[in-house]
Amino acid sequence: MSIEFKKIDYTYSVNTPFQFVALKQIDLNIEMNKVTAIIGATGSGKSTLVQHLNGLILPTSGQLIVNDFVINANVKVRNLKSLRKNVGLVFQFPEYQLFEESIIKDIAFGPKNFGVPEDEANKIAKASLKLVGLDESYLEKSPLDLSGGQKRRVAIAGILAMEPDVLVLDEPTAGLDPQGAKQMMELFKKLNTVHNKTVLLVTHDMEHVYNYCDNVVVMKKGEVFLNSSVNTFFENTTYLDELNILAPNIIRLKNMLKNHNIDVSGCDDIHSICDKIVKELK
Amino acid sequence: MASFTLGKYLPYNSLIHKMDPRAKIIVMMLLLCAIFIPAGFIGYGILVVIVTSIVLVSKLNLKFVVNSMKPMMFMLVFLLIINILVIKTGPILFSLFSLDIYLDAIMQTFYIAIRLLLMIMITTCLTATTKPLELTLGIEDLLKPLKVVKVPAHEIAMMISIALRFIPTLIEETERIMKAQASRGVDLQEGKIKEKIGGILSLIVPLFVSSFQRAEELAFAMEARGYSPGEIRTRYKQLHMKYGDYLAIVFGVLLNIVMLTLSMVF
Ligand SMILES: Nc1ncnc2c1ncn2[C@@H]1O[C@H](COP(=O)(O)OP(=O)(O)OP(=O)(O)O)[C@@H](O)[C@H]1O
Ligand SMILES: [Mg+2]
Repeated sequence: MSIEFKKIDYTYSVNTPFQFVALKQIDLNIEMNKVTAIIGATGSGKSTLVQHLNGLILPTSGQLIVNDFVINANVKVRNLKSLRKNVGLVFQFPEYQLFEESIIKDIAFGPKNFGVPEDEANKIAKASLKLVGLDESYLEKSPLDLSGGQKRRVAIAGILAMEPDVLVLDEPTAGLDPQGAKQMMELFKKLNTVHNKTVLLVTHDMEHVYNYCDNVVVMKKGEVFLNSSVNTFFENTTYLDELNILAPNIIRLKNMLKNHNIDVSGCDDIHSICDKIVKELK
Repeated sequence: MASFTLGKYLPYNSLIHKMDPRAKIIVMMLLLCAIFIPAGFIGYGILVVIVTSIVLVSKLNLKFVVNSMKPMMFMLVFLLIINILVIKTGPILFSLFSLDIYLDAIMQTFYIAIRLLLMIMITTCLTATTKPLELTLGIEDLLKPLKVVKVPAHEIAMMISIALRFIPTLIEETERIMKAQASRGVDLQEGKIKEKIGGILSLIVPLFVSSFQRAEELAFAMEARGYSPGEIRTRYKQLHMKYGDYLAIVFGVLLNIVMLTLSMVF
């Protein structure tokens, strides 16, 4: 089981005046059963990268390995459907994919496509809707009558219902209220820890990266700038400065305290830091 | 899908790109007229040569022609079958299972195919070499004389240009929704017929919804910026006909005359 990018290039609109090289020589290993964040400036190729994972975009050159699936550039790929069952992808604006007349039907659409019988699919749909924090009263409503954030949740539920091993989310919390965003991130973390799923998520929120992710991949102008564990990434201020990224609040607090000669190493949450400060000041 | 170029402006720098949009529209109309004059082999030969050279002068890739024909293949085959069954004039070409195939049937189908091809080439040439804004201005100017009989020239021009402007956007949208549904297991390539129909439905509904939303948002945005169709407004961009533009129109008229003569001779 592994996810490997080997020297992957991707060019949009090849041989037209709009030709654009979006990915350059991507060499990347994604650790399984971990939560990996993909960050980078807008236009750095994050969405392009994640769309490779379930074969929506096929590499212009290079090789991609996802579990036992091997995709080579310029070789016709068969049975992408089974890859898509394994890798669930939630798009950047997934609310546009809703179409059924009721929410339950829309969520059950995915599993049914993969051959799950109707009543089973409905059962999974109900459970998925609950997972994303919407109650049963929504089941029969039209997905088109929901608010943006609710649509987002339904769309995510639609992917969860497929029960993929690898879950890929492109900015799943953009546009959600802070409380909703937190719930979603906790859900993804839980899917990882309890259900052993590999989670990849694109995000711009460093707090989320710090609090919920194990590894981080930094994209820059179509290239992988860095692939490391979250802790190493935030410890190393040179990276953050070079990328112009503001570290999470807690890291900045720790750095400030360090500058005031208060040693808080080993404290990872706000309470232990407080205790330490109180102790130091006594 | 990505190779779909209909209605998309391609920013090259060519003679055709530099022409006045009004002249381009008039010449296009003239060419379209010429296509429908039945001038036989020679006539279509001349047209194919002329239109192909226009496409080449515009620096467009001829590949799109082949691509745009592909979806019509089915229709043409269908047409061929009907023509073979219906048209019983001209010399018999050969017999197939006691069914006589007449030359005219084949020729009719061939002519229709050529006409379609030329039409696509001409219209693509216009939209690919003219910025949507210029196209609007051109259409508006050409419709202006009709204002006397209460034709809303500006509104029509605006509607056409918005429609043209949104063709590529809709294609992108379709691609995006296709990808999203493919992620949910819709398989338009390998699936069964019943699945495919369901799959197509899962594309059309979101596409409709987002188109309506887009239209509404656009209308609000235009209103918010004070757009009101009846208003008289000045123009930032002025159109100027040049010597070459007049020449092109004269050429278009001449072409029609030649075609008419040919059709009468043969
Ligand atoms: N369909 C397309 N055709 C041509 N170029 C594209 C297309 N989609 C994306 N690009 C280009 O590829 C580059 C990478 O796009 P991508 O969507 O992967 O960026 P991103 O990192 O996801 O950005 P964001 O954070 O804004 O979502 C961008 O510069 C974009 O202009
Ligand atoms: Mg993106």
